[in-house]
Amino acid sequence: MAKQLTEQILDYLNKHEEVNSLHLSEVFKENHQKIIGAIKSLETLDDLITTKQITDKKWELTSEGQHVASYGSHEAAVYNAIPDDGMPQSEIMQSVPFAKVGFSKALQASWIVIDKSSGTPIVKKKVSSITDITQKDLKDLASLTDRLKNEYKKRKLIQEIVIKFVQLGKGPNFTTTIEKQETELTADLLANGAWKDKKFKPYNFDALGATLEVGHLHPLLKVRSEFRKIFLEMGFTEMPTNNFVESSFWNFDALFQPQQHPARDAHDTFFIAEPSRSTNFPMEYMEKVKRVHSEGGYGSLGYRYDWKIEEAQKNVLRTHTTAVSARMLYNLMQQGEFKPVRYFSIDRVFRNETLDATHLAEFHQIEGVVADYNLTLGDLIGTLYEFFKKLGITQLKFKPAYNPYTEPSMEIFCYHEGLKKWIEIGNSGMFRPEMLLPMGLPEDVNVIAWGLSLERPTMIKYGLNNIRDLVGPKVDLEMVYNNPICRLNKTSQNSSQTKKAEDKKQELNKHENKSCTFKCAEKFEKQKLIIFCDPKHPIKFIELFFHHVKNYVNIFVTSYVHSSVQHVPNYLLNFCSECRNEDQANDINLTIIWKEIGIDPIMQLPGMYTITGEINVARYLNRLIENCYPRVLRYESKDALYANEIDNYLEKIHIFLHTNVHHAIHKKSHYVMGEDISIVDILLESLEK
Amino acid sequence: MPTINVKRDLLFKSLDKTYSDTEFQNLCFDFGLELDEVTTEKQMVTNEQNLNYSTEISEVIYKIDIPANRYDLLCLEGLAPALLIFLNQIDIPRYTTIFPSVNRQKIIMTEQCVKIRGHIVAAVLRDITFTKDSYNSFIDLQEKLHQNIGRKRSLISIGTHDLDTVQGPFLYDARPPTNIYFKPLNQDKEYTAEGIMNLYNNHAQLKQYLHIIKDSPVYPVVEDSNGVVLSLPPIINGDHSKITLSTKNILIECTATDLTKAKIALDTIVCAFSQYCKIKYTVEMVEIVYPDKQVFHYPDLKYRIEEIDCEKATKYIGIKQTAEEVANLLSRMSLKTSVKDNNKLNIEVPPTRHDVIHTCDIYEDIAIAYGYNKIQKTIPYLSTIAEEFSLNKLSDQLRIELACAGFTEALTFSLCSREDVADKLGQELLNIPAVHISNPKTLEFQIARTTLIPGLLKTLAANKKMPLPHKLFEVSDIILKDDNIEIGARNNRHLCAVYCNTFDGFEIIHGLLDRMLQILEIPWSSNKNKNGYYLRAVDDPTFFPHRCAEILCYGKMIGKMGVLHPDVVSRFELNTPCSILEIDIECFL
Repeated sequence: MAKQLTEQILDYLNKHEEVNSLHLSEVFKENHQKIIGAIKSLETLDDLITTKQITDKKWELTSEGQHVASYGSHEAAVYNAIPDDGMPQSEIMQSVPFAKVGFSKALQASWIVIDKSSGTPIVKKKVSSITDITQKDLKDLASLTDRLKNEYKKRKLIQEIVIKFVQLGKGPNFTTTIEKQETELTADLLANGAWKDKKFKPYNFDALGATLEVGHLHPLLKVRSEFRKIFLEMGFTEMPTNNFVESSFWNFDALFQPQQHPARDAHDTFFIAEPSRSTNFPMEYMEKVKRVHSEGGYGSLGYRYDWKIEEAQKNVLRTHTTAVSARMLYNLMQQGEFKPVRYFSIDRVFRNETLDATHLAEFHQIEGVVADYNLTLGDLIGTLYEFFKKLGITQLKFKPAYNPYTEPSMEIFCYHEGLKKWIEIGNSGMFRPEMLLPMGLPEDVNVIAWGLSLERPTMIKYGLNNIRDLVGPKVDLEMVYNNPICRLNKTSQNSSQTKKAEDKKQELNKHENKSCTFKCAEKFEKQKLIIFCDPKHPIKFIELFFHHVKNYVNIFVTSYVHSSVQHVPNYLLNFCSECRNEDQANDINLTIIWKEIGIDPIMQLPGMYTITGEINVARYLNRLIENCYPRVLRYESKDALYANEIDNYLEKIHIFLHTNVHHAIHKKSHYVMGEDISIVDILLESLEK
Repeated sequence: MPTINVKRDLLFKSLDKTYSDTEFQNLCFDFGLELDEVTTEKQMVTNEQNLNYSTEISEVIYKIDIPANRYDLLCLEGLAPALLIFLNQIDIPRYTTIFPSVNRQKIIMTEQCVKIRGHIVAAVLRDITFTKDSYNSFIDLQEKLHQNIGRKRSLISIGTHDLDTVQGPFLYDARPPTNIYFKPLNQDKEYTAEGIMNLYNNHAQLKQYLHIIKDSPVYPVVEDSNGVVLSLPPIINGDHSKITLSTKNILIECTATDLTKAKIALDTIVCAFSQYCKIKYTVEMVEIVYPDKQVFHYPDLKYRIEEIDCEKATKYIGIKQTAEEVANLLSRMSLKTSVKDNNKLNIEVPPTRHDVIHTCDIYEDIAIAYGYNKIQKTIPYLSTIAEEFSLNKLSDQLRIELACAGFTEALTFSLCSREDVADKLGQELLNIPAVHISNPKTLEFQIARTTLIPGLLKTLAANKKMPLPHKLFEVSDIILKDDNIEIGARNNRHLCAVYCNTFDGFEIIHGLLDRMLQILEIPWSSNKNKNGYYLRAVDDPTFFPHRCAEILCYGKMIGKMGVLHPDVVSRFELNTPCSILEIDIECFL
């Protein structure tokens, strides 16, 4: 069909030199959108035609206006309905369509009078004949003055519509016969050598390729793999850490962590109700641990308190993988003789902490342990430098710290090139003799160790601010799909910074100025908006829309329930809960008022302008964003055709909202408009919810 | 890690130097402290009480993080001298005790008090002069000690009294609550101990301490020879003996269940505040008589001598320093050190440094004074051969194969609600050998997961916006109760994969199983014997009827797969069919 149409257009153009798409639509009795499609496909052929986007405004009769144009104005209808001796006002009101408007207009024009002398108001003609100027005017829109146009617009008789169309002309290579160009090199074309005579359609190298269906590894576990490799490169053997449940004995007591230590509080540690206790400890070793806590020994004063086995028996979810390191060192000595070892592990640990953007109840701990005769603190520092060098971190700083099982203890700080500041990255130290000697390690063996979380460096690397975006079921699979391969020693510019809207905007604008002439505003104009919305028809797309743009503009939403509304569903109480942080710097300040007003929400702008209907609100908000950040949600900044197509989809959605007739919108590839997300996708998604 | 608030100007006055924030931060860093926040008093009042109450002047406050074992640094009076000594500005003070021949203070313990709070230590600070600031600091330090070393007053509880208002000898007793009657601190009338407990039932701070003695038949009480109540430890002091800015002589008593900690707390207070006494750094001892007539004198203020080998110490850290240099370094950490022959050092551990319990603590102080960041970097010379943990190696190999098969990896939590593994999957909790958590803060952490299925389904539910089909997998540990294991529970490495589309796609999940077993070199056993793997139909409430199979591998059941039951689908807030595979991979090792 389209092919035939393209030929028809070329023929027509050949005869007429110049033509516009609207005209073609009339000539061929085809949908304008189809004509545009055909023109687009002609455009792909080199210099065949020239096109120019034109946006025009046109006045048009509304349906009420059409009624007036055909049957006369409402006031004339009222006038004509009145018999010479008049009739009661109430009767007129019932017998004439639009009587209310017509009546007051007729009064205003002094065509009729009300006679109240007989008690019931009787309406009588005041003049013997009238000229229906309104009808005349509407029949001839072209000759109306602007003042009159506005007047009729207010009366909702006429409306101004925007028409977008394309002006066509002949290009330098104009011809009416288009040779069919091959799009693909096929096996058939190769087999018979036909490729030699065929003309091939040029590729559009400005478009992206097809999206492949592939599998993905999780970003955090990609980073875990890199850390494993680093340890293996450095000669570290992996510890079996597949035991999340641990006794307090191995988790705390064996590490010389006293039984009254705050970490052993229920506030910090998950205790196990079932199986609640472990009783099977190596007794000889346990006695030594008990002694070093309660009485000291091995050159230590000990903590001098009443050590209780009941406390050691309590099972917990391990709070660190150091519990496993303790078991490993103990087992090493059970083999009879000490030999130098390097151990590492990366596995889950658990803390019963208060959760926030950077803390979860479980996270991965990375741990490295080296045991040998006469190791020094300098060895620890040197090893840490080597380890972090493999992560691309070369500047380290160590701060004295306290940890019950290491002495000396050092907090590790690293200088982050991207963030341009020192950040705390982990902890380290030399295990205390009180921990090592009861296990039977030789006195001159020292053990150096360090630990860090896997999540923190990963979040810094990928610029994530919320740990839930990385770990757990709420993870955004799109982030997983788009996550780059993990190259820890490479600091790429866009990975290292935490997302800052400002940076992002600059980067986007730079891009923008190169590729597009669309003028974007320097600064987002602050908006104060009010939306009246029916709780039965919540304006759902707003939530998704704000989510989509939240990295660019700060949004604050408050909602109120109008006194006339009896019941507001619970889920609406959390409406836009993402945007509840009031801040001086909010770009959009939206108040939602739940009120029973029907399907179409009404948005009130400053200065009493209103916008009615979900799609019009969507259009308005889209323009606001596009004005400043054109790439975020394309609409009118690309070209008229693009915008036109979006407008068409929006119309379909509007009809769907009102009639429930299915909109039949299909995605071209990733999104409805192809590669770029548009307001249409956001609306469609909100409809699915 | 405790945090203390210090007025900046006061601190700088004590240090006799004005620092910029950054300079002070660097000093803290080197000494092992952290300047956590710079704020103002006005802001702090607003933050803590959420009121717009404002003081006349807004002084700059430093919030400083103190290592948990350095009780001596918990107030300005301890912090400032420690920093000055570290900076080589002042000498280490010498604390002394005096035991007066007349007028000595005595506390007699009864049999009763031993039953509930069996220890008391005490000391007297004579002729002290407080300022508003030092008075506040004195009160603050007690609170800090209560919270930290005192474990919220359960281990120790401190009471300080104006000695001139009471008359010794004192009695440390324990009596039924109805037999204790006095006016609590800052109250306007007298109550019985029972009444006091009711009075503070809703008190913002005090209510957290009530449980320590609440259910005891007798409550501890300290009173003077006239029966005036000094304190009802660990709840509240009496109003009668309260200290004020003009108090001259202070009796400090500290009741405890842990004597070591009581001694440390008492030493810490008197060391910090004896500098305000007329005879500086001098503390008057109090005699404690136990029911068995044993007599002790407090405070200890014991100086301990530790001998270390200088070479051993420097080798431990990896630096080259002479004995004299090391002695100087240690002296900067408040550890007075003298050099003996043969490279030995005699170190005097003062009563402020109760954290030093082993020579390794002394080694650390050498390293801190030397400067962690000046230590020569070395790499240890040991040769070790690395080895992966076989289960993790296998897991990683399978993960990569699963991704190659077009599946995307999820990473979900090991903890979940009981509902997730039971009701939502149509299973009975009683039949599940789950590990239960006794103190979860939310429903999400009731048990450790026994299957990977809920995590994957939740991930699907959170990503409905992504185009179909969804193909997810996770290779991770589940946790099972197991009485044969030392701890009573064990991890089990599982592989779980889900396919979710507009149709159930069972053949795809089946194909994935075949692929995984193929690369593990396990043959398909067409005649269903022990020479390979095969499927056996089974009914399971998690799955659609007749759409679930057990996977048998060399005769052993290793997992299940099937089409998810529609009820399960909807309970996880999904609306498209899913097929799922979950197997144990430890059997492939």
